[in-house]
Amino acid sequence: LDWVEQLAEVDTSSVEPLTAVIDQKLRLRADVIDDGDIRDAVLANAPNAQHGFFAVPKVIE
Amino acid sequence: MAELRSGFRGGDFTAREIAEAFNAAVAGAKALNAFTVETPEDALACAAIADAARGSDNVASLSGIPLGVKDLFATKGVDTTAGSKILTGFKPPYESRVTENLRRAGAGMLGKLNMDEFAMGSSNETSAYGPVVSPWKRSDGGNAALTPGGSSGGSAAAVAAGIVPGATGTDTGGSIRQPASFTGITGIKPTYGRASRYGMIAFASSLDQAGPMARTAQDCALLLSAICGPDPDRDSTSLDVPAEDFTKSLHAPIEGLRIGVPKEFFGDGLAADVRAAIDAALRQYVLLGAKLVEISLPRTELSIPVYYIIAPAEASSNLSRFDGVKFGHRARDYSDLLEMYKRTRAEGFGDEAKRRIMIGTYVLSHGYYDAYYLQAQKIRRMIADDFQQAFKQCDVIAGPVAPTVAWKIGEKSDDPVASYLADVFTLPGSLAGLPGMSLPAGFGAGGMPVGLQLIGNYFGEAKLLNAAHRFQQATDFHLRKPEGF
Repeated sequence: LDWVEQLAEVDTSSVEPLTAVIDQKLRLRADVIDDGDIRDAVLANAPNAQHGFFAVPKVIE
Repeated sequence: MAELRSGFRGGDFTAREIAEAFNAAVAGAKALNAFTVETPEDALACAAIADAARGSDNVASLSGIPLGVKDLFATKGVDTTAGSKILTGFKPPYESRVTENLRRAGAGMLGKLNMDEFAMGSSNETSAYGPVVSPWKRSDGGNAALTPGGSSGGSAAAVAAGIVPGATGTDTGGSIRQPASFTGITGIKPTYGRASRYGMIAFASSLDQAGPMARTAQDCALLLSAICGPDPDRDSTSLDVPAEDFTKSLHAPIEGLRIGVPKEFFGDGLAADVRAAIDAALRQYVLLGAKLVEISLPRTELSIPVYYIIAPAEASSNLSRFDGVKFGHRARDYSDLLEMYKRTRAEGFGDEAKRRIMIGTYVLSHGYYDAYYLQAQKIRRMIADDFQQAFKQCDVIAGPVAPTVAWKIGEKSDDPVASYLADVFTLPGSLAGLPGMSLPAGFGAGGMPVGLQLIGNYFGEAKLLNAAHRFQQATDFHLRKPEGF
């Protein structure tokens, strides 16, 4: 974390952060179902699957 | 790879013979620990398809060519671990876009290649499956095991040892270019957004890019053409830029090519043996008709803290999905959900991953976000602007890939910051999202390979591959193999 103090020395007052390397608007697609019916594939790697659900310790008291 | 293709298409040998030869080579090189899983049946099955198609219109650009795939890519039904214990036994129910593209081009798979855990590392020493050993040994005595570099260490070692004709790698801060340099092979990272990240286990989403690693620029051009292409429905950062045939302009003459040489890449930190090899390579380019232009990338050293704030920040977010709920490792003993999360992640992640998650979480936390993350993103823009200034005076930028040749396994393990500092030449290009490659340029101390880095402007992959190809037609560094392979 010591070196990151170097960054404070740089004057960035007139610079916009770089959040996208190349400018491109986020593409939207039609709100149409194009996937599904893959429950077993999705559960295949589950550490604990029961009755078609992922099983985890009780969350709600 | 060019010889394999023409031999297969010309009937000199069958795709089956190619697959059998590489399967045997892979099986015989287990000492390198380059593979996490071997898939000889896959290579044979794709070879059978290629043999059946030979002579017809169904022969695709990579028919008959089996490849190694870095274990960061989701391969349907085949273990995908990202070099981590937290994904031991994970078999994705889907295929990454990059490997799907390669398969559609006819390529088969020899296996999944070992790597630094979650691509965090420069020496393949952070893998939960053991370090990869470079096939290279120093010529000046001693038999010490050397690192092939990282994070695509398995990919580099396998290509350098000749046990795969080509491999996929990924590059976030230099993970294709640096191992290519350390093992004397060729590798290229395309412009950010050119290769789909769908199915590529995420480390730093604004930096990760897939790319090929092979012996020659020509082979890389062939692989890159298959790898790149838009994937708008599944990767929102995928650029709407059509797939390109990068082999088309490989042979163009490079007289008059202006090569920018950044003075900041040739400071005191650069080892003398590497400097000598790079200087000689640049002289070779002058003989080929290129012109050297001195340029400046003033914020080169700042790229280290900028990267080591941004990348861990993004990683802390991406790695939050590994919680033992839906897939991957889950701890065995816990009394409640929170304890399950804690134990699962404590057990499943290695030290470097934990280190980066903690740094990342810290720099994004309330009160620190502006001083660290936001400031780093602003300096990132300044670094990208520095490159644009430089590209007004030159067509490509050239310099070293790493300050030294490959080090011994274990040499830098006690000081992670020492290996961060060695990334100084590859980080700036990554932060700017520019395409970059490494090609074999000569040898340094102990007869160890040294790579020359070429950085291009956005979408300039064809020009980089062309410049590399012309160099490879005039030199033979890319043909040299480590002793015994």
